[in-house]
Amino acid sequence: MKAPPVLTVEGVRKSFGGVVAVNAVSLALERGRIYGLIGPNGSGKTTLFNCITGVERPDAGRIVLNGEHIDGMPPYRIAQRGVGRTFQVIRVFPELTALENLLVVTRGSAAAAEARALELLRFVKLERLRGEYAGNLSYGQQKLVEFVRMLMRDPSLVLLDEPAAGVNRTLLNDLLDAVKDLRDHGKTILLVEHDMKVVMGLCETVFVLDHGEKIAEGPPGLIQSDERVIEAYFGR
Amino acid sequence: MVAGAAAAVYPLVGTGYGVRALLQMFMWIALAGSWNLISGLTGYVSFGHVAFFGAGAYTTAILVTDAGWPWLPGALAGGVAACLLALLIGYPCLRLKGPYFAIAMLGLNEVLRALVSYFEGLTGGGSGLSLPTLQATERVYYVMGATAAAVTLVTYLIVTSRFGLRLMTIREDEVAAEAMGIDTFRHKLYAFLLSAAGPGIVGGLAARDQGYIEPISVFPLVTTITMIVMVLFGGKGTVWGPVLGAIVLFVAQELVWARFPYYHQLLFGAIIVAVVLLMPRGVLGVLQQKYRLPRTI
Repeated sequence: MKAPPVLTVEGVRKSFGGVVAVNAVSLALERGRIYGLIGPNGSGKTTLFNCITGVERPDAGRIVLNGEHIDGMPPYRIAQRGVGRTFQVIRVFPELTALENLLVVTRGSAAAAEARALELLRFVKLERLRGEYAGNLSYGQQKLVEFVRMLMRDPSLVLLDEPAAGVNRTLLNDLLDAVKDLRDHGKTILLVEHDMKVVMGLCETVFVLDHGEKIAEGPPGLIQSDERVIEAYFGR
Repeated sequence: MVAGAAAAVYPLVGTGYGVRALLQMFMWIALAGSWNLISGLTGYVSFGHVAFFGAGAYTTAILVTDAGWPWLPGALAGGVAACLLALLIGYPCLRLKGPYFAIAMLGLNEVLRALVSYFEGLTGGGSGLSLPTLQATERVYYVMGATAAAVTLVTYLIVTSRFGLRLMTIREDEVAAEAMGIDTFRHKLYAFLLSAAGPGIVGGLAARDQGYIEPISVFPLVTTITMIVMVLFGGKGTVWGPVLGAIVLFVAQELVWARFPYYHQLLFGAIIVAVVLLMPRGVLGVLQQKYRLPRTI
């Protein structure tokens, strides 16, 4: 028997004024897999992310996380139910230390939170910098802090908005290894990414958006040769 | 500790003027510290914080004159009234983002002043309320000092707690805070309630001490501005910044500026500009960054 999906998006639609940013998009994410979400600029990737995380309220459609409706919930409730995310532009808390950035979670005892935070900082080799203000860290280090901060709640679904943007090769490989590690620990990952090498190397299934609609879905190899996808990117 | 002991014995040996001046200083420490709780920690700037002072002053004055309450429970009731007002106002207004909240709070103060002037039966309207004559300066002095100490202690407890960290995430990046599962609205509301209690009590004590209140004396915008300048000068978001700012600016005002009545406002304005331009973190904020000191300074 197949396990029920971690996340199902059914016919989600979101418009801003007259512009339909996401139109009747449906997808299902299974446990322990890495999914990619691609599409040209303005195709609705970030809006779909924002609908899943509660930053935007969908106009229509349903979003179900682990069997529970989450559409219309405020972002903090969705986060508490197991959705972790990173942002396209880094959003660490600059005047909190690296360790404090992780300690802000509302769950569990202070001692347990501290132990977990130190373990996560060790995981990305930032333990030494735990007392440094996050704003003083390098771009890559901030990216890592944001990445492990999201793991503090042990989310079942991880949303990554352009994890490879502005990251050097070494750091990128570390990040990709970390993502695979999460997958191996049974987490589900959905990432928006422009770097096709990353998408093709990492994702098992890719969804393609264009003008707010899902135009293709499948393994990366097939997607690359899909006519509608090529047309969306390069024109007819 | 030493300062606390000195303040405790001062009324026994000091002059009447000295006691009154210290009482005023305690008032400013409590007011600046309270403003810091909401605005210094969460970054939600309140331009109407004197509204809680005024609400406390009127609550106490009405309870003392009409209901015959003693002034001390009256002042505590002023703190409760200020908290209730904060709940009423915070519920809609804290859903507004930063600048809109600041403007809404400015409006609140003007509305309260108008309401107090209008309901003459209860508040005496524009002619104000006179409290029964009572020689209580020394007792008010101690309660005011205790209030200032309590506000500072609460700030210390918050800044060293995970609750405090979460308040600061709202200032740092509210969207990221929500994405971390923090109910930012609830956190802002708690901070706002805490920040209203001190001014409410202090307002009641000031009403008792002055013996007479009227709308323009308890709702002046300049009181809010003074709280803000004290905190910005001392260092927002720190424990001792508001205390330092209140002491330095109050002493400066008493000793120096009082001799130059015409330049007083000008100097005050100049300090605001200088702090914002040269030292936006305030004295302790700069030291904290430079020498990597904890926020508990």
